[in-house]
Amino acid sequence: MPFEKVDTRHLVFDLDRAQGFERVLIRCISHREAYYGSRLLEGQGVKTVNTHAVIRLAGDKLLTSQTLLDKGIPTLPVALAFSPQAALEALEKIGYPAVIKPVNGSWGRLLARVDDPEDARSILEHRFYMGEELSSVFYIQPYVEKPGRDIRVMVIGEEVIYAVYRYSPHWITNTARGAFTEPCPLTSELEELSIKAARAIGGGILALDIFETPEGLVVNEVNHTPEFHGALRAVKVDIPGKIVDYFLQGG
Amino acid sequence: MRIGVLVSRIRVEEKLLFQALEKAGVNYEKIDVESVPFLLSCRHFQGFDAVLIRCVSHTQAFYASRVLESQGVKVINSHQVINVCGDKLLTSLALLERGVPTLHTLVAFAPETALQAIEAMGYPVVLKPLHGSWGRLLAKVNDRDAAEAILEHKKTLGGYVHSVFYIQEYIEKPGRDIRAFVVGNETIAAIYRNSPHWITNTARGAKASPCPVTPELDRIARAAAEAVGGGILAVDILESPDGRLLVSEVNHTPEFRNSIEPTGVDIPARMIDYVKKVAGGEL
Repeated sequence: MPFEKVDTRHLVFDLDRAQGFERVLIRCISHREAYYGSRLLEGQGVKTVNTHAVIRLAGDKLLTSQTLLDKGIPTLPVALAFSPQAALEALEKIGYPAVIKPVNGSWGRLLARVDDPEDARSILEHRFYMGEELSSVFYIQPYVEKPGRDIRVMVIGEEVIYAVYRYSPHWITNTARGAFTEPCPLTSELEELSIKAARAIGGGILALDIFETPEGLVVNEVNHTPEFHGALRAVKVDIPGKIVDYFLQGG
Repeated sequence: MRIGVLVSRIRVEEKLLFQALEKAGVNYEKIDVESVPFLLSCRHFQGFDAVLIRCVSHTQAFYASRVLESQGVKVINSHQVINVCGDKLLTSLALLERGVPTLHTLVAFAPETALQAIEAMGYPVVLKPLHGSWGRLLAKVNDRDAAEAILEHKKTLGGYVHSVFYIQEYIEKPGRDIRAFVVGNETIAAIYRNSPHWITNTARGAKASPCPVTPELDRIARAAAEAVGGGILAVDILESPDGRLLVSEVNHTPEFRNSIEPTGVDIPARMIDYVKKVAGGEL
């Protein structure tokens, strides 16, 4: 199949002119480039995978949580606060330990686990001096005691491609931060939850982060441009092949 | 009927809206967006028939409206409208896709590519941050030296906003632009914003004078409002030297204090009238 690598950083988008592609697979590292790139291309009638609507939802923790909650998908409780003072109140309601996150961001950046109000005050003060988005909205969740691992599931369309455990001694179980992966058996509970969650976000090529809690499995995050090199070693699935098949056939 | 007004800093506009609510005899409540946590699983705001969003911060307006909508509350403006209007690129695309006349725009994601785009468009051009109000950080670029300097400054500023380069043709305006207020599907008032500076923003000292709502202006203002999703909006319109009206921006939480006296229109009363209709399910 003839294809072209398009580096968003080298491209001038003229809003009045089409780019001439039939379909485009979005693999920008930056959420911002993925979002605006897909939006610009879709506006010109190009089919993009994922769509800008999915990228918008999955790239934003609040929009993801609210969408999952609205569709009845098990997820963690969330409190949103628009000032450090309200964030402290939210933390009292959520209970300690808790996690304060930016609404945007990847690779576990700026996730802060706070064990008490003193921790929280320092983190909130630091956030207050950052840019508008980081200083004016605080996304707060209870801290979940994980069994030293979480689960990452890749869903393509209506199919679960693989599931792996990500083990880490650190509470942030991100392969970009040194977690290692092992295959995770695909139970019907896990499969069903993953497909429902992917559908709720709008479908496409997605990776879900799932926690095992005493109350059952909960979806924590959805990634719209998933990295999968960590999983390639752990599972016998041609992941890039599956992605390209989906992209070319349906999308 | 119970109406909420979601606020952060209370400006003259919010005071005028409260007065209009009182005058209309509406049962309303001020909600300081910064004073309360929003728990996503609770339905704290269910008792409101409608909530008018008047937060100064776009980020707060967007997320708060999104959460309220999930609780089944009617929100003015909706989070989709706030999303589009708070982002100049999304606004441009919405206008273009609905055939609303707007300015020629290029977008680039790296400073080097932005420079190519600027050179291709031809000087002068205007560089704008995707988010932001009151004319902040708008840069008119007259030549290559200026372009290089501005792009380097943007690179150093960094962050989400300054790494998308939104480049527009510069329109030689007749010392003014037009701001039209659209409420629902009606253009209720319009002003000229007169200024010797190319940034014709009343927050930056531009003087407001009455602007007749001609059928053409009315048509374009309403089309722009509809393109972004409708509600309570202010549409900024430029008059080009060849006599066209071009929509440059749409504001989702408009300031209007300087527009009441010159137009003679009770803008806050008209806004509240609309909010009442939405709350009562008439719209």
